[in-house]
Amino acid sequence: MRIEADYDRCEGHGQCEERAPAIFELDDDGYLTHHYEGQDLPAELEGAGRGAVAVCPVAALRLAEGT
Amino acid sequence: MTTVQTTPQYDADIYTDAALREPYEHYRALRDLGPAVYLRAHDAWAVARYDDVKHVLATPEVFRSAEGIALNEPANAAILGCTLASDGERHAHLRRIVAHRLTPRALRPMRQVVTDAADALVADLVARGSFDAVGDLARALPLSIVPDFIGWPEEGREHLLRWAGANFDSFGPLNARAEAALPQCGEMAAYGAALVRDGNVLPGSLGASVLEARDRGEVTDEQCMMLMLDYLAPSLDTTISAVGSAIWLFGTHPEQWERLRAEPDLVANAVQEVVRLESPIRGFGRLAAEDTEIGGVAVPAGARVLVLYAAANRDERHFADPDTFDVARPDALEQLGFGFGEHGCAGQGLAKLEIQALLTALLRTVTRFELGEPERALNNLIRAFASVPVTVHTD
Ligand code: HEM
Ligand code: SF4
Repeated sequence: MRIEADYDRCEGHGQCEERAPAIFELDDDGYLTHHYEGQDLPAELEGAGRGAVAVCPVAALRLAEGT
Repeated sequence: MTTVQTTPQYDADIYTDAALREPYEHYRALRDLGPAVYLRAHDAWAVARYDDVKHVLATPEVFRSAEGIALNEPANAAILGCTLASDGERHAHLRRIVAHRLTPRALRPMRQVVTDAADALVADLVARGSFDAVGDLARALPLSIVPDFIGWPEEGREHLLRWAGANFDSFGPLNARAEAALPQCGEMAAYGAALVRDGNVLPGSLGASVLEARDRGEVTDEQCMMLMLDYLAPSLDTTISAVGSAIWLFGTHPEQWERLRAEPDLVANAVQEVVRLESPIRGFGRLAAEDTEIGGVAVPAGARVLVLYAAANRDERHFADPDTFDVARPDALEQLGFGFGEHGCAGQGLAKLEIQALLTALLRTVTRFELGEPERALNNLIRAFASVPVTVHTD
């Protein structure tokens, strides 16, 4: 399971980081870093990853299953 | 594809005074009837379950906002072209301009301003002891921050609250409340147009940046005026509603205030929980662009769809004990009171900043809220109190 982030759409609300700090991090200027960009999430982070997708208020995160 | 069910129907008018005062049993009935329910009184399909609300909001190609936000034609015509009521590329373009100054990173310089204003206001009210949590607290902070931030000139500010309320009333079905509101929306639009024409906004403000975007040719005069309305209409009543509801909820649930005092780090979650339980905007509309279905219920092209955030936020299919106020609710962040997806609230960073600053200031000294008799304000879209008399205790 992967998560794709749309950086154009991300407004830096930070709710993904709150839910899944191991995957997402906002830098001091509020820009998003996705630690698993273009990679499958390790199994133990899948739950947190799904949670982050669910709480991004502007739908900037998307699940890409089976990649 | 799921099999298509017959359309469940609901007869009650959900915009009567009684329904606006006590909406939650209507919402429960709508959720229980099905994923989409035809409202005979309003010629619209209500969507009240969490998963289906999220589906509609996540499918903007089918469920359109242009000509869809309000439940009546005149109001849709009046707002056509603002960010809220546009789709696709045009929406993405306007949204970038609107959201640009409202993202948490852009708001960073506002943090201190808002915190200082909240601290001063709360110190003053705590010294008084008894006050109206709506008039003296909930309205006072946004009114001292937002008009300056947006850049409205001083003259005309006395109308802002009346216009904003009228704007939300106008989005309902064309009932007496909406009819009374439409002329006032016209006044607000004329005021916005004059600001754009005369360039009469405070320097350095968000309004000034919209005018600069126009001077660079990124937006037209008309779009510029719509952008001004985007900021004006949704930025006051919503936040005011949430603050009024918060004080009422903490007054009626003293143990939740105790909990927050013990764990002030929960304040951000508490704000989400207030917006979940007493969603300031009950719902916005969409227009179905093609024959489609919602959770297996057929919805025809041209149908008006009413997306009930306030009902989704109490869906027992999603939230455990949805009618319970719990500042530590683990999934409060999943609430839909700020909408979701492309049109998800652009101002939520500012709203959260304001509400958190007030609660944080109150947490420092107030141990308990003693409530008087609250009074409801009735609006087609906004759930709010007109007044919440309160005495604060600091012992
Ligand atoms: C507690 C306070 C607030 C609540 C509950 C709230 C709620 C909402 C909701 C539900 C939407 C979604 C509209 C849709 O689905 O079509 C929305 C959109 C919007 N809100 Fe808020 N809002 C709040 C505060 C604010 C503030 C303070 C501002 C401005 C400074 C603001 C500006 C906007 C704008 C511009 C949009 C349109 C976004 C778009 O269509 O892309 N809101 N809001
Ligand atoms: S929650 Fe969404 S908008 Fe906020 S930082 Fe994460 S990806 Fe960006």
